[in-house]
Amino acid sequence: MKSLLAALALTTALTVPGLVLARPVTLTTQMNRYGGDGAYLAIYVTDPSGAYAGTLWMAGTRTRYYSHLSDWYAATGGDPAQIDGITGASVGAGRTLEITFDLADTLFDAGYTLHIDAAVEDMRDSPDEVSVPLTTAGAGVPVPGGRYIASFGYSF
Amino acid sequence: MKTTLALLAATTALAAVLTLPALADDDRRARSDDSRGEHVTLRDRMAQLFHVFDDDDDGHRHGGRHHDDDDDDDDGGGRGRMAAPAGSVAPPANGLFGTGTPPRVQMN
Repeated sequence: MKSLLAALALTTALTVPGLVLARPVTLTTQMNRYGGDGAYLAIYVTDPSGAYAGTLWMAGTRTRYYSHLSDWYAATGGDPAQIDGITGASVGAGRTLEITFDLADTLFDAGYTLHIDAAVEDMRDSPDEVSVPLTTAGAGVPVPGGRYIASFGYSF
Repeated sequence: MKTTLALLAATTALAAVLTLPALADDDRRARSDDSRGEHVTLRDRMAQLFHVFDDDDDGHRHGGRHHDDDDDDDDGGGRGRMAAPAGSVAPPANGLFGTGTPPRVQMN
């Protein structure tokens, strides 16, 4: 009986952290009507020291334009392995991009910052157009963008 | 009648004098480019000159940056290969994603 309880406690202890490690998070990016072609967006995260931690999403598939997402490109060298499975189409002016994925809980309230670099054909590049700390208190609170992004927000 | 014919002959001659050297020079440059391994024809040059009238945009003729929404091809730039599209493989194991669940995307 004792062995059974011990095994149960052990499996519970091993399982529960796995259940709370991640949560579904929706990123919502509303674009301005800037009067140009579809925007390339690199959505990525830096750690508390400001170092690149990883990419969450790449909008735009043509690798030759990634260098215009200059901060992201400086951190990654445009390595496609950074964006395998998280790459989609560029985002048109006036449109809204919504992405939902399971993000690690450890990203929130731990000093991580989400950044968005943006670029549009024949228009000025806009690195770090959005820079927002990832906190539970910040969920559901949209922040303004700059040149191409009207607003950005994340929600649980 | 004679005056008209003379005028026609004069304009034809003038046009030939003005355009033939240019065409010859272009052809010489085309051959030069071809010797470097590029096959550039007069037709290509004319297409480049008048690409503004070309609605059949294949994304390869423009000197500037080009983004489009169809995203159906690439020229092998950057690091040499395109990234796997969302849903085709699991997200990268960069510690940001809690599970291997593919992202769900919606564009409005």
